[in-house]
Amino acid sequence: MPKARLIDVSKCIACRACQVACKQWNNLEAMPTEQSGTYENPPQLTASTWIKVEFRERPNEWLFRAHTCMHCTDAGCEQVCPTGAISHRGEVVYIDQDWCVGCGYCVQACPFQVPHKDEVSGTARKCTFCIDRITNGQQPACVKTCPPNAIQFGERDDLLNTAQQRVQTLVMNYGYRSAQVYGEKELGGLHTLYVLTDSPAVFGLPEEPKVATTLVGTQWLSGVVAAGVIAILPFWLLFRRRNNQNHEVNSGTGGR
Amino acid sequence: MAWSAPIYVYLWLAGMAGGSYFAAFLVERFAGANNRGLSRLATQMGVFPALAGVFLLIIDLGNPTRFWHLLTQFDVFSAMSMGTWILLAWVMIAITMSILYWTEAHPSESTTRLMQGISVGLGWLELALSVLLLTYTGVLLATSNRALWASSVLLPPLFVASAVSTGIAILVTYVLVVAQLTVTHRAEYKVPIRQLTGSTEWLIPMRTIGRLWEAEAIVIMLELIVLIGLVTWLGVSPLAGAREALNELAFGTLAVPFWVGVVLLASIIPLSFDVLSPGKELERKGVLTAILSSSSCVLAGALFLRAVIVVGGQL
Repeated sequence: MPKARLIDVSKCIACRACQVACKQWNNLEAMPTEQSGTYENPPQLTASTWIKVEFRERPNEWLFRAHTCMHCTDAGCEQVCPTGAISHRGEVVYIDQDWCVGCGYCVQACPFQVPHKDEVSGTARKCTFCIDRITNGQQPACVKTCPPNAIQFGERDDLLNTAQQRVQTLVMNYGYRSAQVYGEKELGGLHTLYVLTDSPAVFGLPEEPKVATTLVGTQWLSGVVAAGVIAILPFWLLFRRRNNQNHEVNSGTGGR
Repeated sequence: MAWSAPIYVYLWLAGMAGGSYFAAFLVERFAGANNRGLSRLATQMGVFPALAGVFLLIIDLGNPTRFWHLLTQFDVFSAMSMGTWILLAWVMIAITMSILYWTEAHPSESTTRLMQGISVGLGWLELALSVLLLTYTGVLLATSNRALWASSVLLPPLFVASAVSTGIAILVTYVLVVAQLTVTHRAEYKVPIRQLTGSTEWLIPMRTIGRLWEAEAIVIMLELIVLIGLVTWLGVSPLAGAREALNELAFGTLAVPFWVGVVLLASIIPLSFDVLSPGKELERKGVLTAILSSSSCVLAGALFLRAVIVVGGQL
């Protein structure tokens, strides 16, 4: 049974303990940042920040969402990787640091802006789902440390049931009429699931994320058709039409 | 920004290499063997921008010494993987064809027919690879999750058209400027590749250069139509980020390079030279200047196009 991580934004208190635990366990260096008006810090995911609590402010309400790798079933980063350095290891989308060439294609392909190129190692880096912990029966560091239990880890089906029940509670008891589960079906099923109190767009998530290679055949075809049109329109029309004239003008002049 | 100058210069160079071969091969096929010198020039000349592009691609990698990892996988879903193989095959065939041209300078009866057969087969294969090479530069960006690149299917056609106009521009410029301007007959240019390869003398009809310029104008018009289509598509696309990407391109931080570099330099100015030129015959006064000015604008504009698209997609 596949494992997953459930992030319940309605329980998140933005303490950012997940960020600290992640950096600590994975030995990721801190980065100097500037005060941006809130406690949101650092400003974005980087090659050395693999989980980050995003702050969004509405009248009388703060919205918090821990942004991290979704470990998609249909992972765009894996599909475009030209060396095979990105692969699924169980439910984990894993970047082999010894094989990654640092081309940056995964950075462009991810619909969640998760992988980042590390200037020091020259590779793309992102959340590993603490693969070294979960394969030894432990929880990911972000889950283990979360004080309000806003991040949970377990069997994906169990977590989906938990998420649905929580959404019902949020709708019925707390008035969050747009509360919903995110990640059940998206990209073949995500392994980072969310309980959201509003629509995905409000939390900076794409409503309908797509795998970058969805239209790869059409894109190739459009280019080849364009080349065909160009071959006919100027070249065939201009050069073939005047072929006979050309022979008359250049009678006997070989191009060799 | 994961992709910057090395990538858009690389896309420009790869397009130039494939575009010049594409144009020259079609001219030879449609206009006859007296244009063979042009396709041979394009084959040999294209090796240099293609290799320069490979160099840029490698140094842009986070781990350049691992570039050979790209050659351990053939993945049709990864445009970068396909592009690596296409570019490699394109360069290898161009080099092989160049060697075959050289052997023609020292013919023997037993090998000549075989060599000619191989040369014709490789020529067609190189044409197919050129089409894929031009297309790949667009597909690489289009198979992503960047709104500017992936919201439509018009980026590959745009890059194909731009690459062909760039290819024509570099051919024309080379013949008129870099090649010695000695007119051996009244109607032909002599291209001094002879000194490099020892092959028999290559001649390019003057009329071909004039017609290539006409062809370039038509390709630029097609390119402009596709660009307008892309902009319109972005404007009406329901996809998240498409309109923002368009605003950034047309009215934001990239507005000046877009309007001046892409619209004016790559399209309007070259077309104006074509319209205002006193004719297409190179012997007429002012035509040579018009062609060279137009081609220079096309070359610069194509670089602007790739820079604006590559940078704009990541803002």
